[in-house]
Amino acid sequence: MGLRSILCAGVGLAAMVALGTPALADPVTLRALMEDVPETQIIEAMLPEFQKETGITVEFEKLAYGDMHDKLVTQLTSASSAYNLLEVDFLWAGEFPAAGWLAELTPFVEKSKFDLSPFIPSMMDLVGRNKTGLYMIPMYNYSMGMIYRTDLLKDAKLAAAWKAAGKGALEPPKSLADYVTLSKFMKANAGVAGAAMQGQRGDPNSMEFSNYLFSSGGAYLDKDGKVALDSPQGKTALDLYVDNVKNGAQQGALSATLDDTLRLMCDGKAFSMITYWWMLPQVDDAKKCPAVAGKVALGVMPGGHGESGGWGWGIPKNTDAATQQAAWTFIQWVQSKKVAVARAMQGHAPVRSDVYSDKDVLAKYPDYATAEQVVASGEAFPVFPYSAQYEDVLGTQLSLAAGGQTDSAAALKAAASGLSDLLKKAK
Amino acid sequence: MSPVWTREWRIGWGFALPGLTLLLIVMGFPLVYSAIMAVSSLTLMHPSLSPLVGGDNFATILASPGFWHALWLTFGYSLVTVTGEFVIGLGVALMLDRVTALKPVYFAILTIPMAMSPVSVGLIWRMLLQPNLGIANHLLERAGLPRLDWLGSSDLAFWTMAGIDIWQQVSFVVLILAAGLAALPREPYEAAEVDGATAVQQFWFLTLPMLRPVAAIAIIIQLINEFRTYDLTYVLTKGGPGTSTEVLSFFAYRRAFLGLSLNEGAAASFMLLAVVLAMTLAFFATLERRAGPSARAAAGGAGG
Repeated sequence: MGLRSILCAGVGLAAMVALGTPALADPVTLRALMEDVPETQIIEAMLPEFQKETGITVEFEKLAYGDMHDKLVTQLTSASSAYNLLEVDFLWAGEFPAAGWLAELTPFVEKSKFDLSPFIPSMMDLVGRNKTGLYMIPMYNYSMGMIYRTDLLKDAKLAAAWKAAGKGALEPPKSLADYVTLSKFMKANAGVAGAAMQGQRGDPNSMEFSNYLFSSGGAYLDKDGKVALDSPQGKTALDLYVDNVKNGAQQGALSATLDDTLRLMCDGKAFSMITYWWMLPQVDDAKKCPAVAGKVALGVMPGGHGESGGWGWGIPKNTDAATQQAAWTFIQWVQSKKVAVARAMQGHAPVRSDVYSDKDVLAKYPDYATAEQVVASGEAFPVFPYSAQYEDVLGTQLSLAAGGQTDSAAALKAAASGLSDLLKKAK
Repeated sequence: MSPVWTREWRIGWGFALPGLTLLLIVMGFPLVYSAIMAVSSLTLMHPSLSPLVGGDNFATILASPGFWHALWLTFGYSLVTVTGEFVIGLGVALMLDRVTALKPVYFAILTIPMAMSPVSVGLIWRMLLQPNLGIANHLLERAGLPRLDWLGSSDLAFWTMAGIDIWQQVSFVVLILAAGLAALPREPYEAAEVDGATAVQQFWFLTLPMLRPVAAIAIIIQLINEFRTYDLTYVLTKGGPGTSTEVLSFFAYRRAFLGLSLNEGAAASFMLLAVVLAMTLAFFATLERRAGPSARAAAGGAGG
């Protein structure tokens, strides 16, 4: 082979490599760490459709909530993240942007002319924008309300016993004190737990207690941002919470998580649960929960205000531009009205107002009208860089009080002091 | 130094050096880095080692009531679990020592819990002990006994966790002690039988003293293991109810990942390391003191 042939072959090979580059480039694969809940399963079932439309593969790694934060933080603090699409809980909405882990989304929105106006403003404030920019797009809402058994309220024997106890008509409770009284009554008379409670220390009991606090008229912070937890309303809330754990809830409430309460309710072994409203379509599903389907309803938290929560989509900063663009393409698609309605038809908890008013959605799920009230009346846990740590601090005190290891006044004082310390640390 | 010795020395180091280098990289580097972290201001919100803050993080940890609670709880937990493992392990090992048929089958069964990851063990037991839907309470109820709140009661959760830990770890102790028993010389027993010693006397005056070095190894390994317990706490209770199962390693984890303070987490871990090291050294020192005279006498006899 002469020099000329070698040169020709070399040039040819280089050309092949150059021309072949686009075809040989790895197609983008988006990987997200997702909470293992029905909302994730709904989206996961639709992923082939997205791949067909865009050629982008999306993979979900599903975990229980309690394991997500640490795994995400480890990835986000490394040079490059294994997760290039993020599901961000509102409790991390202070921490992640403050730590500089999330890409600012305004340039993506402007470039793609993505319409943010249908998103419920309170959701945008919770899991969208903060004072420094737009870091997330709301994904779904998880405000909390009361899911309860209608068949037990209609039971003639129980109604008679309730009336005999001088309580009047057996109907959904209007105040928190009424709720706890009813819960204890059901445990004593109906052969079920009055409340399926998620009392495990940390996120489960902090979220649950927040409903008790807000419905008693209490708050974590006042209007000026000062700690207001240690108040008469807070004390009432904690006393009622402890009373319900001890006398109304299922055995094992102090180690129970969300999954435990769902199983209990699904199995027909509880009268009620204070939980995320999107649980209703799951519990009311004849295939998943035949024991209670058709016998459950959703109500606003007795007292009028429950815990408000939500998840948002985010894009990690420590990924390349092409991947970030692919992640944005997915977020646009999954939160578009068309896909959001399709998700809602399977039980999705919308963050767009136009989905709540969609005729098909309302025809299938009349309770979505109540859900909108649950969302509208919700109040939020303090969102700041140490929200996750505060859940741990508060959860420990709640667990100590409910387990009888400390009294409610001391627990409340310690929880308030812990919040003050963390707020100072965040400044 | 003779030429032969020099050559052997070089060859020895030549073989050992690659392994030692690897060890230095995979063990030494993280240890040194975490030591630097422990005296730095590194948090997840401030991802920089500077400025170094000396012993501030250690002081913060020592001033925390949670640390002292976790430390004493860990001591108690290690004591309970290691004692349980040793007593049960020795009993099973003694029984297995007398078994002749199907011995490999028993050993194979015994290794199953040991081969399982603590996370799987925790999840399985969590399901079994679920108060309302789990099989444990169902069986108790069938037997006419009250249902128990295994992991949700602050009085019971500690003991439940310790029981599960013993269930998983006991097979390791059984295997070590069984190997030790199999290696014991038979002559002293034959002599004891001639002298009319009972089985209990043989166990007390022959088996236990001769088994002491092996038992000590088993105990110290398990003590270190139990002092570092983390997985079971994480899966079963998350340290609750209240703080009734918050062991030291879980405390360190909370500081590092929930509190976002990697520096304080590292400081707490070093305190854990210091306690484990101190215990190990004290244990071996005691062992050596007790074995000293006989060992020295044996050495003297051999030399004479």
